Amino acid sequence: MTELRAPAGSGRHDSASGGGVVTSGGVVPGGGVVPGGGVVPGGGGVPGDRAAGHGAVAGEPGVPAAASGDGGVARPPSSPGARRTVAGWLRWGWRQLTSMRTALVLLFLLAVASVPGSVIPQEGIDPAAVSQYYAAHPTLAPILARLSLFSVFAAPWFAAIYLLLFLSLAGCVLPRTIRLVGSARQLPPRAPRNLARLPLAVSHQTALTPAEALDSAAGLLAGNRFRMRTGDGWVAAEKGYLREVGNLLFHIALLALLGSVGIGGIFGYKADRLLISGQSFANTVTDLDQFRPGRLVSPSDLQPFSMTLDKFTARYIASGNLRGQPSTFSAAIRYSARPGAPERRDVIRVNHPLNVDGVQVFLIGHGYAPVFRITDGAGRVVFDNPVPFIPVEQAGLTSEGVIKVPDAKPDQLGFAGVFLPTAVVVGGRLQSAFPAALEPRVSLVSYAGNLGLDQGQSQSVFQLDTARLRRLPIAPRPLAPGQSMKLPGNAGTLTFTGYRQWASLAITYDPGQLPALISGITAIAGLLLSFAVRRRRMFVRAAAGADGVTLVNIGGLARSDAAGGFETEFAGLAAEIRDSHGGAQLAGPAGRPGDYLGSDQAAVPDEDDQAAVPDEDDQAAVSDDDQAAVSDDDQAAVSYDDQAAVPDDDDQAAVPDDDDQAAVSYDDQAAVSDDDLPASARTETESARGSAEGE
Amino acid sequence: MFRLPRSPRRTAHVARATRARLARLPRPARSASGVAAGAVLAAVTALATTGCAGGAIGESTAASNGKSFVAGSYDTTIYARGSGPVSPDVNGTTLTGQKLALADYRGDVVVLNFWGSWCGPCRQEAPALAALARHFRSRGVRFLGVDIRDSPAAANAFERSFQISYPSLNDPGDEIALAFQSTVPPAGIPTTLVIGRTGRVAARIVGQVTYSALGRLIAHVSAETA
Repeated sequence: MTELRAPAGSGRHDSASGGGVVTSGGVVPGGGVVPGGGVVPGGGGVPGDRAAGHGAVAGEPGVPAAASGDGGVARPPSSPGARRTVAGWLRWGWRQLTSMRTALVLLFLLAVASVPGSVIPQEGIDPAAVSQYYAAHPTLAPILARLSLFSVFAAPWFAAIYLLLFLSLAGCVLPRTIRLVGSARQLPPRAPRNLARLPLAVSHQTALTPAEALDSAAGLLAGNRFRMRTGDGWVAAEKGYLREVGNLLFHIALLALLGSVGIGGIFGYKADRLLISGQSFANTVTDLDQFRPGRLVSPSDLQPFSMTLDKFTARYIASGNLRGQPSTFSAAIRYSARPGAPERRDVIRVNHPLNVDGVQVFLIGHGYAPVFRITDGAGRVVFDNPVPFIPVEQAGLTSEGVIKVPDAKPDQLGFAGVFLPTAVVVGGRLQSAFPAALEPRVSLVSYAGNLGLDQGQSQSVFQLDTARLRRLPIAPRPLAPGQSMKLPGNAGTLTFTGYRQWASLAITYDPGQLPALISGITAIAGLLLSFAVRRRRMFVRAAAGADGVTLVNIGGLARSDAAGGFETEFAGLAAEIRDSHGGAQLAGPAGRPGDYLGSDQAAVPDEDDQAAVPDEDDQAAVSDDDQAAVSDDDQAAVSYDDQAAVPDDDDQAAVPDDDDQAAVSYDDQAAVSDDDLPASARTETESARGSAEGE
Repeated sequence: MFRLPRSPRRTAHVARATRARLARLPRPARSASGVAAGAVLAAVTALATTGCAGGAIGESTAASNGKSFVAGSYDTTIYARGSGPVSPDVNGTTLTGQKLALADYRGDVVVLNFWGSWCGPCRQEAPALAALARHFRSRGVRFLGVDIRDSPAAANAFERSFQISYPSLNDPGDEIALAFQSTVPPAGIPTTLVIGRTGRVAARIVGQVTYSALGRLIAHVSAETA
């Protein structure tokens, strides 16, 4: 039970036949109605002749299949009677998904979808830039937010793309792997009748009997790790199955790479913490500034290490062209991997993270934290803390910050100002001339009133909400360490007691890092293997000739051997076989195909030779047919090959292969020798030869 | 260039075999349908995964950027009687310099509150906590605070502001929260844990508490283990 369709890409044949394909009972383009039971193969040259020559294949009154006029729109496979069952649709959908074309389209979509992630500021990376974007584009920003364009890599549509890609790869690669394992014992094809046809062929004579000659050749080839198959008067050998292994290794490694990235995203987390020297922190959610967990990470999954920043050191270049540039940053820390574990010392530098318990702690940034002691109007010390100030320019590390004193009486106090590590007056303005703290000064604007903290809404610690604050009438003046500022109205006193440095740390846990590395290396190895290894075949035929001399023909065939590396190997092996036979070479050196003495052909009678019509070489000829019968889709081309090699069912045939069509033709050429044709078919093909030649 | 002879018979046979084999296959797809299929399936999957979006407990959302702490999302977890995890040892120095341990309160219901003077929601819930502490003092319920990322001066000023009568442990390095990491981690600031008389955690509230909600919870826990 079959059903035929017009292949889409077969331009020349579509035009010749009108492209129609008919199941029995339908209309033959260019002909009359074929009585029930007859089937016309579409895309042929002269449908009428074929109809006369063929037996019935299909037998159902069926759907008139797609004509070329409809542009070749794919339809789901029709079961007999043109019922499109749900199962049929699902199978069609699965085939579309697992085709290589879909995988390539999805890969392209993945790349395209990553573009907004690079162009538009992303929440998880630079939230300040996102806020600025909102401010700059007030109408556009909410639309982008709806489309998840501020968190592209966490967006559902991005996830859909890589999930589909994963499915597509898995659905393609796994059945192929099973097939490869199943065909691991597959034997090489039978030797063609006329080895002279092959692109590499030599022959020689030997005094050994044919059986001895074949045994010797087989032993030699087997010793070179060829897979052998012997028959009556011939030996076939094949090598290079690793190519498919390399191909599959590459695709499986791609799958594993996707999986590793997924695992890292689901089970990993990233966190930030700004740590002032002298402070400690523990890896808990309460002690982190930012926490971005993977989907399946909960607060109790965090590795329970704790760390103290003993000293942060930043060195700057003091003179020359690069004056003011930092030369080293290092953070001297003490850490313990879990509560109760012994404390260890380490130094974190830029790009030299701390590794503790699978977590990496990177040094990201640094700055200054001036220390203030503030007494309120009642004379009590209400604040005695370092306050981290954020650098706003890199040349002199001028930093800005905010101090909030919510428990000062009678009014809450707030301060906002700048810290200058090396304060100099330039043109009447205070600037910082050098990033090291050589002349630290701090200058603050003072506020009193309601900070807005008591109502429970969260505020940024780096911003002062001055809505309900009144500015105190005291002009900001630069304070040196140890100096104080008395606030008017008996609001209190602020003393700048000193400064410390802070380091900002990025804490990342990515369980998929190592698997991703291994997958990447494996993918490259598989790719190299699939490029380097070629499937190649050698055939040896030995036949007794006149005078008890045995004629030995050796032929070689390489699939898609562009570089010609097989020629050297073939020449070497053929010479070895000849030497083992003690024979004299008759034909030309390997690599000059067809350079034969006529006596060889006479010694091995072959119908094909007599009937040979000088024509294009086999490769081109059969690939012509391939293109005639097959669309430009990889699937069909390779299903051709697959069915030649492996007993198939439809599912297997649908799995794509990346071998090219020309290579496929070799397989078929080699696999199908004239011996395989039944006698009836032979006469048929002879009668059809005339029409075939007319194509 | 020499061309190998081609057998028309073989070619025809091959061609016919090809077509016969192809005839058994469904028609190969064209790229347009492949893209269409991909788009349809992508749309379906996108709809399916949209429902999974949402922040986990303790995840920083956009609103908390620059706040220097993880705002967390509100969550109340209540354990059935006797089934909560055993509270780890908690000990440290109070803001007034005394040594204190959770074990000192064994036999009483303990309300452990993680807070900081810099934290807005902590300031909002502070009056409720102070009132509840006074209300339940005579009923065998003790309140203990854990002050995080704070200096003693600011923390004491906070306690004065809100008339907090119960002691708080000074924990600048957040070691007490670390001790709870594997059992019932405080997943944000503020977090309130209610620990039963036997030392098992009975409830965890992430986010600021209200007087009525926490009061009901404390009454429930102290009644069940009485």
